[in-house]
Amino acid sequence: MHILVCVKEVIDPEIPSSAFRIDAATRTPDVAGAAYVTSVFDANALETGLKLRDAIGGTASVSVLSIGKKSAELILRKALGCSANAAVLVADDAIVEPDPAGIATTIAAVVRKFAREGKPVDLVLTGRQAADVEHGQTGGMLAEALGWPALTFVSKMHPTADGIEARREVEDGHMLVHARPPFVVTITNDETNQPRLAKVRDVMMSNRAKIPAWSLADLELTPADVTPRVRILELATSTRENRCEFIDGDSPAAKADTLVARLRELKLV
Amino acid sequence: MKTLVVARSGATFAARKMILAARAAGYPVDVLFFGHSDEVGAFADCGAGEILTWNGAALETHPSDAALAMLETVCAQTPRELILFAGDSAGRDWAPRLAWRLKAGLITECIGWSEANGRVAFRRPVYGGKAIATIVSDTPVTIVVVQPGTLDAPEAAAAPASAVRTLVDDVAVLPAWPQVTERVTESGTGPALTDARIVVSGGRGIGSAENFALVEELARALDAALGASRAAVDEGWVPATLQVGQTGKSVRPEVYFAVGISGASQHLAGMTAAKNVVAINTNGDAPIFGVSRFGIVGDYKEVLPPLVSRFKELLGN
Repeated sequence: MHILVCVKEVIDPEIPSSAFRIDAATRTPDVAGAAYVTSVFDANALETGLKLRDAIGGTASVSVLSIGKKSAELILRKALGCSANAAVLVADDAIVEPDPAGIATTIAAVVRKFAREGKPVDLVLTGRQAADVEHGQTGGMLAEALGWPALTFVSKMHPTADGIEARREVEDGHMLVHARPPFVVTITNDETNQPRLAKVRDVMMSNRAKIPAWSLADLELTPADVTPRVRILELATSTRENRCEFIDGDSPAAKADTLVARLRELKLV
Repeated sequence: MKTLVVARSGATFAARKMILAARAAGYPVDVLFFGHSDEVGAFADCGAGEILTWNGAALETHPSDAALAMLETVCAQTPRELILFAGDSAGRDWAPRLAWRLKAGLITECIGWSEANGRVAFRRPVYGGKAIATIVSDTPVTIVVVQPGTLDAPEAAAAPASAVRTLVDDVAVLPAWPQVTERVTESGTGPALTDARIVVSGGRGIGSAENFALVEELARALDAALGASRAAVDEGWVPATLQVGQTGKSVRPEVYFAVGISGASQHLAGMTAAKNVVAINTNGDAPIFGVSRFGIVGDYKEVLPPLVSRFKELLGN
């Protein structure tokens, strides 16, 4: 079983609104000294993939893939430090302002390249949506690009006698879905897929690992294949004027009284 | 723009809004409804042209593949320029796959649109609600997933009654896998989180699953829906169905109580439409106070009990 986990490098999603700036010309965030991290649901996807690999055992392996800038090597090394077996970066200047259709096309080409090289992929895991642009589109489009089924919003996966059982989280509960590889999974968070802490030895190993960088040409793609279908015309920070009224009082009970009185005055309760 | 609104059983409210908003923009609208034709009365006053309904048994076992096959058929019969989905787990599941099949541009989490120079530009929050993107599609067909409850739309449309047509055709043979083997509903006792007038949410500061009982008690006293931040879900204190945030659910109550929630961006993104936020947190510098109308700096274990008893006296819940 060869599991491919897709991870995206994103600007730290916890930068407070007050510090968040946009460069209007490039329509991208412009925050001095911002940290770049693994997109949160991709980190959950990696953990789900690693757990599934270990549950299957034998020769099962996890490869991690990132499409982006050279700097994304860092999150790939982090994944290797968490015991992923291999990593690959796709970096190409032709992938500018990538839209999900272009990314899905690129991941599908990576899957085909692995197959050509005798390492066919059985499962592709993505986060349910990126922590920056939050499209939530890549997984479904990738499934279509590969002609594979898609299981979305999955929190847990277990191997069964003849396939894999996945738990999908939906508004009013969950459903159990039985599937046989190959398929694409988009991962949502729950208590079982919180990212692990890397072991020191693994981190040291990961720093020495060679991470191949593939271009579109390596994937037998041309820039025309990744032409965006949608374009961001404008990106602007959203401001929210606010002033908080802090409720004071000598005791918790007094504070509670004041709060209730204020809420009553405003007819909110 | 010829528009198709995709609706499903149990989620008719979101679909009504989309039909009414598209009609108000002057677009002819048809509806594809996944569910029994008895339920389409919900759309009677929306001004839709034709309402197609399909309730194939395969929707139970193959909720993605069956719906997609029918969507593809309906779109092939009558091409539309705009296809609207509700931003729930079904809409977010179907839209990317249909977009790929129709070579359509896709805009997700849309909160509104406007026309300029003959083009429609769609607005959506990005970066955890810290920015708003205005997006155009360069394709003949555009698919849009709308955040529930965000569109400005009239209450109803004065228009002739829609024609209802029940589709009886079966979809093409579906693959054996993937197949749904079990569905579990985890409905709470209070009002639904996404429609509630008051929401009471707890976060990491609550500390344990047992302590969540106190938050639940406040929710009961206010007849409010219970919610949680991602941190509380990740700790396993509450089920994922309660998660409010960038993922999880978007809520828009009159009053939102944030108890022991620091206000991570990803949480704020899900409650940005709340009209009045009341935050209770030990850390007076927590970002949650930046979006709150009222704040109490203090330990929720001390503040909640008197608050619960006041509300109980007042409201009799």
